[in-house]
Formats: sequence, structure tokens, C-alpha cells
Amino acid sequence: MEGRIKGQLLKGTTTLLVLTVLRDGELYGYEIAQRIRERSGGAFVPSEGSLYPALHSLEAAGALEASWQASDRGPRRRYYKITKTGLGMLKEHAQEWATFSLGMARAVGGADQ
Amino acid sequence: MTVDLLAISLSCGFFALVVAAVLLVRRSERRLGRGPGAPSAPSMPGPDGGTDPIAAYLDRMSGELALPAADVAEVRAELANHLLDSIESLEAEGLDRETAIREALGRLGPAAELGRQIRAAHQSTRRLLAGAGGGVFAAGGGFVLGYIGGGFVVVALALAVFAVTAGLAAVGLRLPDLLADPTGSSSNSILIALAFAIAAWVATRYAVRTSASLSHRTPRAVAVVWALAGGLVFGWWALFGLSGPQSWPIVAAELCIPVAAVAGAFVRIERPLPRAPRWAIVVGLIAFIAVPLLGFAAIISPGSGSASGQATPFQMSDLHLDTVAPMAPAAWLPGDGITDDGWVTESGAAVMDAQSISGQSTLPIGPALGNWRDLRFEAWHALPMDGSGPGGIDTRYASPFEVQPAALHGDSLQATFEFERLRDAGSWWVVLTALGPDGHRYRLDFGYSDFTTFKGSAWDWLTAPQ
Repeated sequence: MEGRIKGQLLKGTTTLLVLTVLRDGELYGYEIAQRIRERSGGAFVPSEGSLYPALHSLEAAGALEASWQASDRGPRRRYYKITKTGLGMLKEHAQEWATFSLGMARAVGGADQ
Repeated sequence: MTVDLLAISLSCGFFALVVAAVLLVRRSERRLGRGPGAPSAPSMPGPDGGTDPIAAYLDRMSGELALPAADVAEVRAELANHLLDSIESLEAEGLDRETAIREALGRLGPAAELGRQIRAAHQSTRRLLAGAGGGVFAAGGGFVLGYIGGGFVVVALALAVFAVTAGLAAVGLRLPDLLADPTGSSSNSILIALAFAIAAWVATRYAVRTSASLSHRTPRAVAVVWALAGGLVFGWWALFGLSGPQSWPIVAAELCIPVAAVAGAFVRIERPLPRAPRWAIVVGLIAFIAVPLLGFAAIISPGSGSASGQATPFQMSDLHLDTVAPMAPAAWLPGDGITDDGWVTESGAAVMDAQSISGQSTLPIGPALGNWRDLRFEAWHALPMDGSGPGGIDTRYASPFEVQPAALHGDSLQATFEFERLRDAGSWWVVLTALGPDGHRYRLDFGYSDFTTFKGSAWDWLTAPQ
């Protein structure tokens, strides 16, 4: 896909992306991956292999809470919900990302000129 | 009043500890077992109805997880659901089922790598610390609970031994006195040690199961740590901490405590902890009530106790004191002879004190015994004075088990024996002897007898002189 971010660039951003999409409500794993793809206009397609370790890591850190719930289709799903700790973590990561992306934009923009 | 309040507070504290530990363990058991929140992975037939590639993938991934059973079931179910969604979506995009499955599995990456990453995500340092703390707490509660349960078990055991002994006695058979325990203290110590062994078993079991659950590890993975910790703590306690009467059977029972702790961490540790069945509670309560009643009945029943049997007339020759040495001629002794006072001091040492008692002689004991040489106190093994006989020197022994020189302190001859630090003291008889003017050894008194049980730790027993 044209305009799709390569895997190396995505590394380290999974946590921020997961927390961001979960800020809007509870989702299960597959939905999280889909929501990230949709929100980024297809630019971000997180590796599904790294999504679940990230989710379980965030749960272990207390940033997410998980529960089994009935879903609209198929069997029960494991839904993730962001916690107060997770919101704090999101704020921190978002600030870091803003600083990083601004710096990168300036540096890369400078190189173009 | 203060003591009562303290006792009530301690009792309430122990009760709260046990209740909290049991609740923690029950909660942990849900994770280690197949908890209600952990659905099984949906089954998905393979494209050709043959070997299911998804199940094979999940099996490979699960093989790397090394998590509690409920966690493994949850991860499997979660990933299986993910694959279902992914395959369905890919098929909707136009892929055939076989290609869709291959693509969905490919997106998740290598199964073993995924399993390792999920395991690392679960087994965080925070959870490891929680597991360690929770394990210690559960061990404390488990120890108290195990000791209470162990108390019931040993009471039932004592009841069974009592019943067998009484039954054999009824048909004229008598079990050998293996414990040589006239005071009953050995039996009590063994039963208490066995109750502690059960408590140690429960403690490490609780610790392993709880810490495995809280740290998201398998019980087998944490068992070694708890076995080591339990073995060291309970081993130290059994060797040095439990002080009281000791004998080989007691030491053996005490050393069962660390062994039980280690075994409790390993034996069938993957199996869920049992809940006490109703029959066990009923049997425990019956034993709790029946044992004191039977003991009371045994005490008040006619013919029981040491008063039974025919009293035989006592004769000095029954004491076999001449085994030690012949009595010194009265003419060689000061006044009316020598009597002994013996007592056990607070430190557990038996101090023998021989004094000259005479209504006529005013000579101090030193000059009065001037013709005697090598005055010494001899400690001989004695027969117990338990109603079956008058006691006296145990003639199976040809020599004293300990000899101390009689030292003059003021007007007294004294020696100190550490009977409570000797393994085989038991019933003893201490006699004052000396070499007479004719060069032969004589007994200067009738001596003093008592019974001493070894007191100390298991380590004291193991390192005590024979």
C-alpha cells in the first residue's frame, strides 16, 4: 500500500497507538488492529504478532484492564479497557511523540531544503 | 486482664491471617485451574478437514508460554478468536480458505516467538515481587491452618494408637515401650513435631500455588525456590528452634518438618489444592471431643494407673546398690553416716551435695573423711520408679556412665552433672564412693535418684556426648 509506514518505523509506537484507540472505549484485539488501521487511513498496520504482547504487557503494568464479554458476532471476546494509569501513560507517550515528530519534521524538512 | 486482651488479639490476628490466606489461595487457584473466565479456544477445522493448522500453531505457541493453566487457556482463546476474525475478513476480500488461513497465521508471526513474547509480557518484575510477597503471606496462613489441621490428624493418630494399645492389653499383649517415656513428654513432642510437619507441608504448598498464580508462572517453575526457602527456614527451625525434650524418635519427627516442607513444594504440585471434605471435618470434631473423654475415662477407670497390682515389700537389696560398690563399714564413716541432697538447678544441671549429718560428731566433713581417697560421685543408669518396681541400679550396666570428683565446698562435697545434656541419662542414681583405708572402693551413702529427660534442640541432641 502506498504511504504505508514500514515496520521499523512502527517499532515503539504500538503502545501509543493501542492506548490512543482504547481511549474512546473498550475493544478486543482484532478490533484494536482494525481501528488503528482505520484511524491512520491505512498508514499504520501494526504487526499482529507484536499487538498481543503489547496488550498483555500494558495489562501487566496496570494500564489496561481485560475482561471476557459476549460480542455481537461469534464467541466471547477479551475486551480491553484503559485505566487511569493507562491514561497517564498515554499523556506521557503522546508528549514524547509530539516532541519526537516535531524534531523529526524540522530535521527532515531542513534536509529537503 | 492485659494477658486476656493480648490472647484475644493474637487469636483474632491468627484467625484473620488464616481467613485472608485462604481467600488469597482460593483466588489463586482460579488462575492455576481452568477458571470461569477462561473460555476454551473455539475449534476450527482445517481447510481439508485434516490436521488443523490453527490448532497446531496454537499448540506451538502454548508450548512456549509456561504460564498458569487459566492464562494459557485465555491466550489460546484470544488468539483463536483473532484468527477466526482475520480469516473471515481475508475470505471476504476474496482469498480462498487455505490461503486465508496461511495469511492470517503469517501475520501473527512465528508461533514460538509469539509465545515467548507473551510470556515475557506476563512475567513482569512487578508480578514476580507480588508472587514473592503473596507466597510468604500464604505460607504464614497455611502454616497456621496446617497446624490446626495437623493437630486434628495427630489427635486421631493418638486415638488410634490408644485404641490399639488398649485392645492388645485387653487380650493380654503389651507393646514394647519403644519411647522409654515414663512422663509422656516424648509422645507429646513427637505428636507436636508431626503436627508441625503437616503445617510445613501446607505452608510451602500454599506458597507455591499462590506465588505461581500471582507471578504468572507454573507451580513447577517456582517450586524449586519455595522448596529451598522452606527447607532452609524449617530446617533451621527444626534443628535449632524447637527446644524441649529430645530423643532419637523426637529428633526424627522434628527432621520430618523440613522434609515435609520440601516435599510439599514438589509432590503433585500441579494438582489443585483440595478443599476439606465434610467427612474430614466431622471426623476431626469427633476426635476433638472423643480424645479428652477417653483420656478422662482411662484415668477414672478402676485398675488404671500406678496403684494397680500387688504392692511388694521393699528391701534395700532390691536396689542393687552393691553393684556400685560395697557399703563402707559404719566404723569408718563419721557420725551416723552421710546423706545426700540432690536437686536440679534452673540451668538443668544436677548438683549433688553430700553432707555429714550427725548428732554426735561435730567434725567438718573434710577432716572426718581424711582416711578416704579419691572421693567421687558416680552416676549409674537406674531402673525407673514407675510403680512396676522400686527402681534401683540397672544391673545391665557394669560401670557408671559418668564420674565426677567430689570437690569440697565449705562443709559439703559437691559435683555437677549435666544430665539434661546427656542422651541416655533417663533414670539415674548418683552415689558417693571412695577408696578406703584398705585400698578398696566403698560406697559412702545410699545415693540419690531421679529421672531426667534430655532437654535442648535437635542440634544439641545430635552433638551431645553419648
